[in-house]
Amino acid sequence: MNKIDQAAVALFKAKAAPVSIFLTEVKGLTEAMDYAVEVCEKKEPFRPLLASSAAPDVPAAPGVPVKIMAAPELSEPDFLKLTQKGGAKGFSVIRDGLRRHLAGIDVGFTEADLALADTATSVLACQREDTRLATMICEIHVMALAKSKIAPDSARAENFLNELMKSGVMYTAFISGCSRTSDIERVLTLGVHGPLELHVALMEE
Amino acid sequence: MQTAANMKTYHSELQEALADQFLRDTLDRFAVAYRANRAAIFADVDEKGLIAEIAEAKEAAIGRMDELYEQFKAEASKRGVIVHRARTAAEANELVRRIARENKVKTIVKAKSMTAEEILINHALEAEGCEVAETDLGEWIIQLRHEGPSHMVLPAIHLSRDQVADLFSQVTDERQTNDISKLVKVARRELRAKFAEADMGISGANFAIADTGTIGICSNEGNGRLVATLPRAHVAVCGLDKLVPSLGEALRIIRVLPRNATGQVITSYVSWITGAGECTVNPDQKKIMHVIFLDNGRTELAKDRLCGEALRCVRCGACANVCPVYRLVGGHKMGHIYIGAIGLILTYFYHGHDKARNLVQNCINCEACKNVCAAGIKLPAIIHEIRARLNEEEGAPIASSLLARVLSNRKLFHTLLRFGKWAQQPVTVGTPFVRHLPEIFAAGQGFRALPAIAAVPFRDEWAALKTSVASGRIKIGLFAGCAQDFVYPEQLRAAVKVFAAKNIAADFPMEQTCCGLPVRMMGERRAAEAAAAQNVQAFAREGFDYVVTLCASCAAHMKHNYEEILAGRPELKAEVRRFAGRIIDFSSFMRNVAELKDEDLNNSGEKVCYHASCHVCRGLGVVEEPRALMRAAGQYLPTDEEDVCCGFGGTYSVKFPEISSRLLDKKLSRLEDSGASTLLTECPGCVMQLRGGEEKRGRRLKVEHMSEFLARRLK
Ligand code: SF4
Repeated sequence: MNKIDQAAVALFKAKAAPVSIFLTEVKGLTEAMDYAVEVCEKKEPFRPLLASSAAPDVPAAPGVPVKIMAAPELSEPDFLKLTQKGGAKGFSVIRDGLRRHLAGIDVGFTEADLALADTATSVLACQREDTRLATMICEIHVMALAKSKIAPDSARAENFLNELMKSGVMYTAFISGCSRTSDIERVLTLGVHGPLELHVALMEE
Repeated sequence: MQTAANMKTYHSELQEALADQFLRDTLDRFAVAYRANRAAIFADVDEKGLIAEIAEAKEAAIGRMDELYEQFKAEASKRGVIVHRARTAAEANELVRRIARENKVKTIVKAKSMTAEEILINHALEAEGCEVAETDLGEWIIQLRHEGPSHMVLPAIHLSRDQVADLFSQVTDERQTNDISKLVKVARRELRAKFAEADMGISGANFAIADTGTIGICSNEGNGRLVATLPRAHVAVCGLDKLVPSLGEALRIIRVLPRNATGQVITSYVSWITGAGECTVNPDQKKIMHVIFLDNGRTELAKDRLCGEALRCVRCGACANVCPVYRLVGGHKMGHIYIGAIGLILTYFYHGHDKARNLVQNCINCEACKNVCAAGIKLPAIIHEIRARLNEEEGAPIASSLLARVLSNRKLFHTLLRFGKWAQQPVTVGTPFVRHLPEIFAAGQGFRALPAIAAVPFRDEWAALKTSVASGRIKIGLFAGCAQDFVYPEQLRAAVKVFAAKNIAADFPMEQTCCGLPVRMMGERRAAEAAAAQNVQAFAREGFDYVVTLCASCAAHMKHNYEEILAGRPELKAEVRRFAGRIIDFSSFMRNVAELKDEDLNNSGEKVCYHASCHVCRGLGVVEEPRALMRAAGQYLPTDEEDVCCGFGGTYSVKFPEISSRLLDKKLSRLEDSGASTLLTECPGCVMQLRGGEEKRGRRLKVEHMSEFLARRLK
C-alpha cells in the first residue's frame, strides 16, 4: 500500500469528525512529533489517578508538575528527536517502564500501521506492553498516520490484517476515537478509562 | 433478573415496573432516539444484505462448533494460551477458581461479559475469597447496587444520575453532584487503582477466531484493554457460539453489531488478542492467558432444528431496544440474565425451564425484534416454539387446551361462535359492544370495550353477496379470519364492494377456518397444525390467482409459518407453498394488482391517520401501498411511531392487560393529537383494540378498516 488512495483519505476525514477525532495534516513524522509536542504544551498537566506514582525522569521546577510524553515504538533517532523537542519544553519523554506511570501521562505518541476509512479506524499492532499502555493511560493519544496507509474499509484490508494476526503473538488494536461511555442516562461522555482525546496527524509521506 | 415463581407474582412485579415513572420516561426517550439513530447509521450500508451474510456465516459456524473449537485450541495453544471447554456453568466457575488459586490471585478486575453474567462468576470468585471489581461503568454501578443488568449493552439504563450520584457519594465518602461528566471521572479515578492492583483480569469475547486463535473484544470505555493488559493473568470467558472460522466473519459482524447496539459505525476500540503477549510483571515476561469456552446447553441447542438459530445472536441488544414491552417494564422483567426477545429464549435453554415459564408468555408477537435482529433470528417463532414445548412438558393451561380442542374442529368452533351471539345478548344491550362481561371473562379488561359477535357472520351473507363478484379479470379467494367472519363482517362486505368496482372475481371457500395463530401463540402445536391443514385444503381446489386477506395477522402467519407448522405433513408440501405464495394483503392487492387508481377514488379531504399493524409493516413488509391509498382518498396525516404495536397481540391482551392497556393509551394519544377524524388500520385485531379504546376514551376518532374507507370513497 504505497500509493495514496485519495478517496479513502477523504472518507477517513469525513468519518473522523462525528467520532470526535481531532484531525491535522502534516508533512512527515517530524512534523507529527512537533504537533504532539504542541498538543502536550497546550494541555493542562495530567490529573494523577493514583496517589503514588513514579517520579518523572526530569526534575521539575518546584511547584510545577512535569508533563510526560511516551513514545515506545519510535526508532532510536526519532525518539532522540522527540526527546529533544519535548525536553526543550521541559517534558519528560519516555519509551518504557509505563507500568510505573499508571497514575497517568499526558501524551501517548504512536504511529498507525493501517487505517480503515469508512469507520475512521487506525490500526495499531502492539507487541510491546509499553506500546499498549501508552495508548491507554495517556490523557491525549496522538497518532501519526501516513495517508498511504489508509484503506477504504476493513474488507479491503482483510489480507493485511490476517497476515498481522497470523504472524505470531500479537495484540492488534482498532482505535476509532477516544474512550467513551453512555452508561449514565445514555449521555455521551468522553474519557472513561482511556484517553480523553484522540488526535490523528495525517502524514503526506 | 426475573425470578418470579408464578404468574401472579410476575404480574405484580410488572405492576411495580409500570409504576416506575423514571424507568418509563427514560425507556421512552431511548426507544425514540434509538429508532432515529439506527435509521441514520444504516443509511450508508446494505442493512438487509449484511444481516443475511451474518446469518449465513453464523449458521455455518454453529454447524461446525466442535471443529472450530479444536482449531482455535490448537492455534491459541501454539501461541501460549491455555484453552478450556466447560460443559456447565459450575464447571466454568470451577476452572476460573482453579486458575485464581494456582496463580495466588486475590484481586480481579472484570470487563463486561454476558457469558460471565450467565454463570454468575462473581459469586463463585467471591466465595473463593477473591475481590472482584467490575470496570465497565454501568456494570460497576449495578455491582455496587447488588443488581443484575437491565440491558445487555446499557446495564444501568434503569438508573438516574441522582441515584448514581448517591451511590458514588457512599463509595467515595464524599458528596457527589449529579453532573454526569464528574460522575464518570469518579469511576475513572476509583477504578484506576483497582486496575493497578489487580492480579487477574476477566473479560468476555465478541469473537473467537479459529484459524489464528485470536479473541476479539469490542469496547468503548477502554476498560477491556486495561483488563487484558495490566494484570498478570487474563481469563477470557466466552460461549462456544462466539467461534468463527476467520477474521473475515468477525469483520462482517462488526459492520452491524455496533450500529445495531449503540448507533455507532464501530466501537472506539476493538482489540484482537492473538496469543499470550508480553507482560512485564511475570518472571518469563509472558501473560498467563486462559480462554474458557462455555457450553452450558449450546451443543444441544446447536442440534435443535427450530431453535438452534438463537445461537447466531451477537448480543447487540437491539431486540430489547425495539420491544414495546421492554420499553414499558424494563430489562429486569424481560429476562433472567439475557434480556429482551433473545433473553426470553436463552433463559429457557441456559437457565432452566422453570425460569422461562412466565417470561416466554410476555411476548406480544409484534415482530419488531425480528425486523432488526443483527443475525436475522426469527425470534417470535422460537418463542412460540418454546411455549409449545413448555405445554408439552408441563401440560397446557386449561383455557389454552380448551381453545385448542375447539379450534381443531372447524364445525364445533363455528357453532360455538354462533352460539356466542345468543349468549352475549344480555351484556351487549343491543349495541355493537359487550357491555357487562361477567368479571371472570373480563379481569383487567376495563381499558377497552369489547366488540359483540355480529348478528350474521360473513359466511352466511356470502350467498347473497357473491353474485356481485361472480366473474372478473382476476380470480381471488377471500380468506376471512375469525374476527372478520364473526365480528366484523362489514369489513369484508366493504371489500367485496371494492372488488366489484375493479372487476375482480372473488370466492369464499366455506371450509376455511381460523388461521391458527392464536393457538400457535399459546403453544398448541397440534391445533395450529390442524387449522393450517384445513385452510390449505380449503383453498387448494380452486384456481385462484391470489388469496386475499384483510387480516394482516392471518396473512403473515399463513405466509411465513405454515410451511414450518405443516412440516410433518409432506403430502401437503407443494400445496402449502402454492398457498403461501398467493397470499396478499388487501392494500397491496388493490393498489398493485387490481390497479385501484387515484382517479377511482373520491378525495373529499377527509383527515385520516394510520396505525401500521405489526403484521402489515413488518410481517408482510407493506409500507407504501396503504399510504398511497390514503393519500388518494383523503388527507393523510402521518404521526410518530405509526408502526409501534397497539397492544393487541391477540390473546396477549387478555394475558397481560396491564401492558396492553398502556400500549393502547400511548398509541391513541399520539393518534388523537394528529387532528384526524378517522383512524385507519388493516387488521381486525387492531380495529378491535383501537375502537374499543376510543369507545372508552370518548370516541374522538372513528376507527375503520382500510376496506371500509375505500368502499366509502369509491367513485
Ligand atoms: S437476538 Fe438479534 S437483536 Fe437480539 S441481541 Fe441477539 S443479535 Fe441482537
